[in-house]
Amino acid sequence: MTESGEGGPDVTQDLRVPWEEDPGDLYEHAPCGYLTTLPDGTIVKVNETFLAWSGYERTDLVGRRRFRDLLGAGDRIYHETHYAPLLNMRGSVSEVAFDLIRKDGRRLPILVNSVLGRDSSGLPRAVRTTVFNATERRSYEKELLAARRAAEASEQRVGALQQVVADLAAAPTAAEVGDAVVRAPGAAFGAEGAQVWLLDADRAQLTLLAGADGGAPAGDDIPLASSRPVARVARRGDLHVIGSVAEAEKHFPELAETMRRTGHRTMVLLPLTAGFAGESVGAEVLGVLSFGFGEERELSDSELRVVRLLGHQAGQALDRARLYDDARRREERATFLAETTRALDEVPRLLPRARRLIDRLVPRMAEWAAVRLQVGPAPLLAGEGGPVPDPERLAQRVALVTANNKAELTDDGPDRDLAVLPLAVGGRVLGTLALRMAPGRPPASAEASFLGDLADRVALALENARLYEQERAVARTLQRSLLASDLPGDPRFAVETHYQAAAQDLEVGGDWFDAFLITPDKLAVVVGDVVGRGIDAATTMGQLRSAIRALASAEAGPARLLERLDRFVDRVESARMATVAYAEVDLSSNELTYACAGHLPPLLAEPGSAPAYLLEGRSGALGTLAGRRARIEHRVPLAAGSRLLLYTDGLIERRTRGIDAGFAMLARAYAGRRASPLPGLTAGLAANLVGPEHADDVCLLCLALGTEDRLERSIGADPQLIASLRADLRGWLASHGVDEQTAQAVLLASSEAVANAIEHGYRNDPFGIVDITTVVSAEAVEVRITDRGDWQNPHGDLARGRGLRLMEQAMDEVTFDRTDGTTVTMRRARGQR
Amino acid sequence: MTDRWVTFASLGDAELVRLAGEIDLSNAPEIGREIVRHAGGAEAVLIDLTAVSFLDSAGVRLLDGLVGDLDRAGVPIKLVVGETGAARMTLQLCAFREDLLSTDLDRAAKELRI
Repeated sequence: MTESGEGGPDVTQDLRVPWEEDPGDLYEHAPCGYLTTLPDGTIVKVNETFLAWSGYERTDLVGRRRFRDLLGAGDRIYHETHYAPLLNMRGSVSEVAFDLIRKDGRRLPILVNSVLGRDSSGLPRAVRTTVFNATERRSYEKELLAARRAAEASEQRVGALQQVVADLAAAPTAAEVGDAVVRAPGAAFGAEGAQVWLLDADRAQLTLLAGADGGAPAGDDIPLASSRPVARVARRGDLHVIGSVAEAEKHFPELAETMRRTGHRTMVLLPLTAGFAGESVGAEVLGVLSFGFGEERELSDSELRVVRLLGHQAGQALDRARLYDDARRREERATFLAETTRALDEVPRLLPRARRLIDRLVPRMAEWAAVRLQVGPAPLLAGEGGPVPDPERLAQRVALVTANNKAELTDDGPDRDLAVLPLAVGGRVLGTLALRMAPGRPPASAEASFLGDLADRVALALENARLYEQERAVARTLQRSLLASDLPGDPRFAVETHYQAAAQDLEVGGDWFDAFLITPDKLAVVVGDVVGRGIDAATTMGQLRSAIRALASAEAGPARLLERLDRFVDRVESARMATVAYAEVDLSSNELTYACAGHLPPLLAEPGSAPAYLLEGRSGALGTLAGRRARIEHRVPLAAGSRLLLYTDGLIERRTRGIDAGFAMLARAYAGRRASPLPGLTAGLAANLVGPEHADDVCLLCLALGTEDRLERSIGADPQLIASLRADLRGWLASHGVDEQTAQAVLLASSEAVANAIEHGYRNDPFGIVDITTVVSAEAVEVRITDRGDWQNPHGDLARGRGLRLMEQAMDEVTFDRTDGTTVTMRRARGQR
Repeated sequence: MTDRWVTFASLGDAELVRLAGEIDLSNAPEIGREIVRHAGGAEAVLIDLTAVSFLDSAGVRLLDGLVGDLDRAGVPIKLVVGETGAARMTLQLCAFREDLLSTDLDRAAKELRI
């Protein structure tokens, strides 16, 4: 090949080296070893290089040793089984690795190439072998191997760690974080007895979250201030590796004992911290992971790195779980508050509302709770759950909270976890809510803002209930006072009335009845109904009632009266569309004149004939704009013994039936009671037609021409009202000609019985009602006083005991019936004793 | 407030307490406090009940306590009650000591001075 290249030498020609190259020297000192052996391996020629590497003298080898004699035991086998057969078959082998055993016994890694020379007949004649020093290459391979082993171990740890990280990511609660973390030391390091402790900063204690409790001598929780190693690690926030029982003995005697019991020779205690990786100073400790090894074990740096990483990952997961817990708890609290507000709204009255609150709290949130309200003469109480705290200490705290309008949340002391919250609206303390949080919940002090929110809402709800109660009581008192005042009666006639409030806790209605003498011989009876409910309706009713009394005159008559009422209603808007049935009876001639302004027709029962509705004299409601305003009246002569019934629509109107059916039912029921005594007639009709479950107020008035033997009153549970009852009773007794001494005795005994009902029966209910019924006959006066209160030991109180004795002394007979509330029946014969 | 039911005057050395109208649960405690405030340091006390139109057990409790306190303090006391009437009846039913009761104000005042 000719190449006329300018830069490179012409390789087709031998280059002459610049010094004399001796082929023998080249052989002896070549950069590799040369061996020539007989086919059986006996060395016949060897160069200096090989001798230098192996440390043998030429005389040690030539003719005395075979090549394989210079190899290690394993290599000799390899030589027999691979090298020699391969050489024979292929005539050459290359890059076979052996360890050459040097004269001094050390090993030299070598690579061997051999060629088999044959004679002219093809028989093996000699083997030429070159030997290369493979020290460098072998150590590189060893490093590779060691690195691979280390990588495998590390991969196992990393895999375990990755698994933990994956588990932690899916662990929304501290408990699940604990379950994930407790598996990690076993998977990553082959450790055993792992435990995860959670630090409860609020309570300053550590709680076992996961793992067998091999270490704790008693109970679950370890105070943070304890000398236990777990507590110490939590306080200090650094990793502790206790390499041996002896080391533990020195620093943590308690741990040494545990290690002996559990058979651990090395223990690792690792803080679980939140914060950035590698940041250990000031990182918040959220828990502690501990695990042990059955043998004494040193942890390598990389293992320690993994351990720290694990602590960090677990800490972050705990932090996340805590935030998640916080968020969930916040949501739970918000839901609880909203639901509680809604639940309280469902019951308008005060005491039921307070009880509803307690039902919401116990046992879900508190193991014990009580509401105390400063309403009325005695505090109102509702409480449930247990154990009940010491009453004296509770009273002290309640007094403190009431005085300062500031919550008392105490975690320690004799009544641990007892919280007393003020129920205040506009700076005024209505009462207190006392509670002890349910076990497992954070202490009250940790929930201060939530409890504050709760108390605010509860206070508002209870204040609204109190205002409702107050208005209701005022409206009811007003209504009752208007309804109950001195109905007339004389031997010529009697009036029986009945008023029944709606069964549901509705506000009072605007129904009313009235009866009064316009002149000594002219009686007016009225039943009316004002649109709407509540205190406005009750007030309007009072105005209309007074207007009718003022406008009625001997000369005017019903139609003129209604005309004047129309003018009145034009000025009193709330009375517009009120309906009225108004009738006047001339007691000298027994003539009835009536008019109905939009009201249901009166029902007249005359002796010997069926009851008939009075359908004449009809015109529109008061102040009507669309209805007939021309007022007309109608006259009817009444037979002696006639009974006239006036009523409001609540008596007959039902959604489930037509008004005609209602009229028919009333007429039938009225006819059925034609022969019944007047006292109790109207109440009986109401019971008959509407029953106890009625949705509307019912008001009835029955006029009988012929006298009231019965006085019926209802008063609120207020001592101030007893005087007005006595006034009514005194007048009624006088009108029946009851002698002074008997009257005094009946007044005294009745007062005492009513005072008892208020002071004992309704001691917890300022809105209770006491009913008084008095009947007089020729022989005796009988009084019946009923309350629906809840009595406790009425004889225990010395002062009330005196009241009972007075009743017994003033009257001839006194009996108590406590089947439904309390009914006292008393009787005294008329006349001097 | 309590003027309707109780007024005070001096009769010689004695404090004269005049009660009037209806004395019951609703006003007795307040009247009691008023009497203690006025007659606390008196040398003798006369309580005139002749104008009382009603007296219940709360009123009796008030009088009973008053008599007890004054007796213990060695202060003479008399209750003046009409021959008949509500106060007389209630006090009799409660068996008040006859020596406490008098029907005439002047005679009672004289008896106190002995």
